[in-house]
Amino acid sequence: MYSLPIALHIPDGFLSNGVSAVLWVVAIVIIAYGLRVANVSLTEDRVPLLGVLAAFIFAGQMLNFPVAGGTSGHFLGAALAAVLLGPWIACIVTAVVIAVQAIAFADGGITVLGANIVNMGALGALLAGFLMVAALRVLPKTRGAFLGTVAVVAWTAVMVGAIATALQLAISGTVPLGTVLPAMVGVHALIGIGEAVITVAAVSAVLASRPDLIAIGDPERYAAGAPALAGEGAR
Amino acid sequence: MSGLCSHALELTGLAGDPGSRVHRLDPRAKIVGLFSVTIIAVSTPLAHWPVYVCCVAVLATYAAAARVSPRAVWRRVRFILPLVLLVAVFVPFVRSGGDSWAFGPLTIHQAGLEVLGAVSAKALIGTVGAALLGATTTFPSVLRGLEAMRMPRLLVLIAAFMYRYLFVIVEEAGRMRAALVSRGYAPRNALQVGAMGRMASAMFLRTYSRGERVYHAMLARGYNGTMPQLHPLAFGRADAVFVAGVLAVTLSARIAGATA
Repeated sequence: MYSLPIALHIPDGFLSNGVSAVLWVVAIVIIAYGLRVANVSLTEDRVPLLGVLAAFIFAGQMLNFPVAGGTSGHFLGAALAAVLLGPWIACIVTAVVIAVQAIAFADGGITVLGANIVNMGALGALLAGFLMVAALRVLPKTRGAFLGTVAVVAWTAVMVGAIATALQLAISGTVPLGTVLPAMVGVHALIGIGEAVITVAAVSAVLASRPDLIAIGDPERYAAGAPALAGEGAR
Repeated sequence: MSGLCSHALELTGLAGDPGSRVHRLDPRAKIVGLFSVTIIAVSTPLAHWPVYVCCVAVLATYAAAARVSPRAVWRRVRFILPLVLLVAVFVPFVRSGGDSWAFGPLTIHQAGLEVLGAVSAKALIGTVGAALLGATTTFPSVLRGLEAMRMPRLLVLIAAFMYRYLFVIVEEAGRMRAALVSRGYAPRNALQVGAMGRMASAMFLRTYSRGERVYHAMLARGYNGTMPQLHPLAFGRADAVFVAGVLAVTLSARIAGATA
């Protein structure tokens, strides 16, 4: 069975020079600020950890799932990274993942690397992270509200990335907006559901076994209530 | 693992003759040379298409000198075809302008064909350029080159650790996915993917403790924040000639095209 993977990695040439340049600047500003946050909040011993977590996100993106009509989407992981690492560190880690995909695997163009970093990593991670912080301030401090918020921000992160990609392709004159926007929004509304289901299941399992590893909110408070099923399992 | 994997891991690493002059160039020279070919091609409008030909010729010469076979290049770049196809399916019909030709109910417009031509040429050149860099330079030396070119150290370190453990972790994900499939897991829609999330968290927790173990093992072996390097990078005359040659050919084509 062959299914067409829907990838958001934009190749070289799909964006106009102006759009590529602007998004490079945006990506560099975000990464520079993220590095400042990281240098303040990270000790040296966390660096290998960030490296293996980047490898984890890369491996997570292998999780293909069916969407509709023979197409499949794959897990993106920006929201999960934001929940586990905090929004700024998640930006850095997803940016490294996307850059390695471009340089070592030729997946996604070099001239549009800034756009890919913004669309597939930074936008989702920042949006998911800050939406969660804002939502958790007003919502009741329960496990259900926390996981519900995770679902909403994971879906939103995918949608915003897709809409941003569609807008950039349209502004560049590659594909007309009327064609690309409904197509991207339609497919990613479904991919976003898969992303939300995976992210919620992942976060609830981490809550159950290692709530101390969750960077956003007050996870220790609602950790109880689910059986520990992950952890150092059968090896 | 086909069918589960959006990044074919076997399509990375060196190809061609590892002892060739191209493989032995300084990584900085190859990064600058190949990425400038891509940047020059991408910045060129379709009207100056001879520049694309020139870029393709430079890449072909590079591949031939490194003895990277066309087959190896094709295997690494063919995954962009669906994306180009996606543009090909829509753009010539919906983007109007210039001459147009009617085929039954469909109309093909010249402006759309021009966009398609430019996009395919640029995507091809960019992807082949990156694939050739990967085929002639090991990823650790690409990273050393980038570090020498003032890439922030934290990013280089994260990328280095990521690449080192990538294959271990991806194969672990493949094994876990195989375990799910062997127990009859076959999701039909996006609501049935919760098991993948639990798998992802098991993978995350294992990865996290692996990261901690790795770091402590490194400390035990005397890691002090920098990786020792056996051979320092040296940007020699051959590297300068290579970069100058690539830039001379592509830039002169670009400038000639712009002024013609």
